[in-house]
Amino acid sequence: MLAAPIRQFLHHALLLTAVVATVAPALAAAAAQDRDRDPRDIRIGVLSHRGDARTERAWAPTADYLSDALPSHRFVIVPLRFDAVEAAVADEAVDFLLVNPGVYVGLELRHGVSRIATMRSRSGDSQHNVFGGVIFTRADRNDINSLADLAGKHVMAVAPTSLGGFEMAWAELLHAGVDPHRDLDALRFSESHDAVVTAVLEGQVDAGTVRTGILEDMAAAGQIQLDGFKILNRQSLPDFPLLLSTALYPEWPFSKLSQTSNDLALEVAIALLRMPRDGAAARAGGYAGWTVPLDYQPVHQLLRELRHAPYDQDAPFTLGDALARYWVGVMIGSGVLLVLLALTSRVLQLNKRLSRANTRLERRQQLILDSVAEGIYGVDLKGRATFVNKAMERMTGWRAEELIGNDQHEIIHHTRADGEPHPREECPVLATFRDSVPRFVDEDLFWRRDGSSFPVEYSATPIRDEIGETIGSVVVFRDITERRRAAERISQHEAEQAHVGRLSTLGEMASGIAHELNQPLTAITTNARACVRLIDNNRADMAACANVMTKIAEQAERAGEVIRHIRRFVRKEQPEISPVAVADMFETVLVLLRQDARRANVLLHQQIGAGADRVMAQRTQIEQVLLNLARNAIEAMSDQPRERRVLLVARRCDDAVEIRVVDTGPGLGKVSPEHLFEAFVTTKAQGLGVGLSISTGIVEAHGGRLRVDSTAGIGATFYFSLPYAGAGLDTEPALASLEPTAGISNE
Amino acid sequence: MNNEPTVFIVDDDNEVREAIALLMDSVGLPNETFDSAWTYLARFEPARPGCLILDVRMRQMSGLELQERLAEEPIHPPVIIITGHGDVPMAVRAVKNGAVDFIEKPFNDQSLLDAVHRAIEIDAEQRGHALEIASVQERMERLTKREREVLDQIVAGKRNKVIAADLGISQSTVEAHRAKVMEKLEVRSLSELMRAMLMLDPGGA
Repeated sequence: MLAAPIRQFLHHALLLTAVVATVAPALAAAAAQDRDRDPRDIRIGVLSHRGDARTERAWAPTADYLSDALPSHRFVIVPLRFDAVEAAVADEAVDFLLVNPGVYVGLELRHGVSRIATMRSRSGDSQHNVFGGVIFTRADRNDINSLADLAGKHVMAVAPTSLGGFEMAWAELLHAGVDPHRDLDALRFSESHDAVVTAVLEGQVDAGTVRTGILEDMAAAGQIQLDGFKILNRQSLPDFPLLLSTALYPEWPFSKLSQTSNDLALEVAIALLRMPRDGAAARAGGYAGWTVPLDYQPVHQLLRELRHAPYDQDAPFTLGDALARYWVGVMIGSGVLLVLLALTSRVLQLNKRLSRANTRLERRQQLILDSVAEGIYGVDLKGRATFVNKAMERMTGWRAEELIGNDQHEIIHHTRADGEPHPREECPVLATFRDSVPRFVDEDLFWRRDGSSFPVEYSATPIRDEIGETIGSVVVFRDITERRRAAERISQHEAEQAHVGRLSTLGEMASGIAHELNQPLTAITTNARACVRLIDNNRADMAACANVMTKIAEQAERAGEVIRHIRRFVRKEQPEISPVAVADMFETVLVLLRQDARRANVLLHQQIGAGADRVMAQRTQIEQVLLNLARNAIEAMSDQPRERRVLLVARRCDDAVEIRVVDTGPGLGKVSPEHLFEAFVTTKAQGLGVGLSISTGIVEAHGGRLRVDSTAGIGATFYFSLPYAGAGLDTEPALASLEPTAGISNE
Repeated sequence: MNNEPTVFIVDDDNEVREAIALLMDSVGLPNETFDSAWTYLARFEPARPGCLILDVRMRQMSGLELQERLAEEPIHPPVIIITGHGDVPMAVRAVKNGAVDFIEKPFNDQSLLDAVHRAIEIDAEQRGHALEIASVQERMERLTKREREVLDQIVAGKRNKVIAADLGISQSTVEAHRAKVMEKLEVRSLSELMRAMLMLDPGGA
């Protein structure tokens, strides 16, 4: 494609070449003529049908008027006989033309002559820039009342080429179904309008036609009586008082040739329009000044209808003539037509097949839609369903015809799971075509026809038309009831696994825990027996005995506390995630592990930082994690001679509390941290190695991640975060202390 | 220095330790408590008679370790091991290492007291025997080198004549040395001499 400026340039260049080629010879011819005449002369060619002298006389005053109006020019009249007009125009022998409308339209068509004013004619007292024809008979001819009655009659007109004197009447007769050349008894032409009137009056012919105003003029001159005539097809137009039988056509135009300068033409036009109606020029020419140029289209129309010049080329021309003359063209045309017919029928056939295919396609589309297990529906920009598939009908219980055209949100999506209404503004389906962004919703609720609901996941995608405009959305949804149940089963399974994990952990710790119970029991029995012996031996004093009893009670409580921890730890059903004091969880770990730590000679501490006192957690599960980690740490240190410590730390980090289990063991060794959290991977000689994988699952269920830092020879730190639960009522800010917790080291 | 037999109680659990002490008080047994093996070792006096109640499961130094350390001493109080649930293998080891008894927690007060009494008796016995050996050894120190040589020959069962020949001295000199040895070791007959020597070296002779 060429750039616009280049195309424009090429266009101009071509045009210029063409103009030079066509205009150059004409210019040369004009220049030759110009040598013979005064360059200031402006030549007005005037149709001369009554002799050049008469024409000269009638129009010279008009030329003089123009010369006066435009002093820099001299206007001269060039009388032109009918057959000379064309040549004068072609040779550009004249600058302006004054010819009748019939001649004018031919020149307009062939030579680009254009009118600049239309003459106003005078007829008695009335002046008009339009004229028509009058068809008349004698008033006493009772057999002739309409144009149709003229068939078979003897008619006279002015001349075959006279617009007002024959052609207008001709057209009118044709309209009435009478062809003057075929249906009349005889058609005669006379030399003048007056002669026609006289012939009718004298009965030489049955009817005649003249231009408008002739009858009125002759009556005014006393030559005839108007009531002696009957006007056929009489027309009465409010602005046109003259007798009239035909349509009206514009009067003679004053026109310029195509080469005549527009500026000059404009000056001439203005001068003509300014000409006084009763001025000398107008009176001499027998007219009443000039008006703005009228539309000559009616004249073109008339001549075309009559097939007169310039429309005489396709004159009476029969099918036979046509065939004889243009048989090759007709053959080619027919061939083309046949081919076109064949093509058309082929196109029709194709169209039919296409529409069948289309129907099939639509049906297949519907079949595809219907065979999909997911529910599918489309909505328009108002949220009304445009299509739905069978699965959707099945899932919702609504029939397609109940859904299509109706607001989907109101039917299947009106209420949320919590029973609150679902506002339209928050509907993801509707939002999708608003912002043209696809969406996936993994949990929502659709409503069935019977008022029940089911959980769904769905995607909503904008539908675009050919030009990419969004015209709605399509929704693909799935009933996730089953999956949800499965998820519940899985989480139940996980809970069971965790429970089994706790039981087995506790089993492995049985001896330690038994010892933990044994200590208070031993103290209790021993104290009680000792007290009895003191009493038996009369050595007892009441204060000492009371003291011993208090100790016994304390020890019983200590044992009860241990049992409470154990019972909560092994309970299968666990409460939901709720605020828990970190100290409580740490205590469980310290209590349950005290004996194991003692036996392994490990110092077990806790340390709770400021603002890290309460977390959102499922208490037992987190205790299970801590217990696992702490036990691992204790076991990891069993062979090392260095100091053995396990530290439980809680530290505030932004909105979370970071829980750490720090040991002073040998570090993780060769096992990679990623591997470590998998089930059945263990660095220990004993144990299944499921502790860490269960712990990982628990921490992840709390939205965190179990991580580990390890330095060989220094120790390992396992850590994870839990959401901070806000300041509790019963938890006081714990001391950031490295002091061993009471009951752990019994110094 | 108090020479009354004392019950030494070593346990790092305050409550249990105090309870055992109270039990000892209730039967009038003098007792002392220690919260770890180290504190006991720090205050260990071999000469003090009595017995040791030792918790097998303690931080830093377990009962077994303490027992092993005490075994290196020439004399120490007999050890009673207190074990928790499932610590039987440790108890067996303790007994093999010379513990006089082991008692499982929670224990019957009478059985602990019985064990304590038994241990104190054993201690007394051990201490008597040990005193005898010590006095024999003390008397052995009085012997001259030649007298020691003659004693060895006598213990080996040789007659005076053979001893005289072996040592290259006269028979009468051997007899004189023999009388001196009997006198210095404060024995009146050959059989008394042989018993004293056996005490020193049970495997010899």
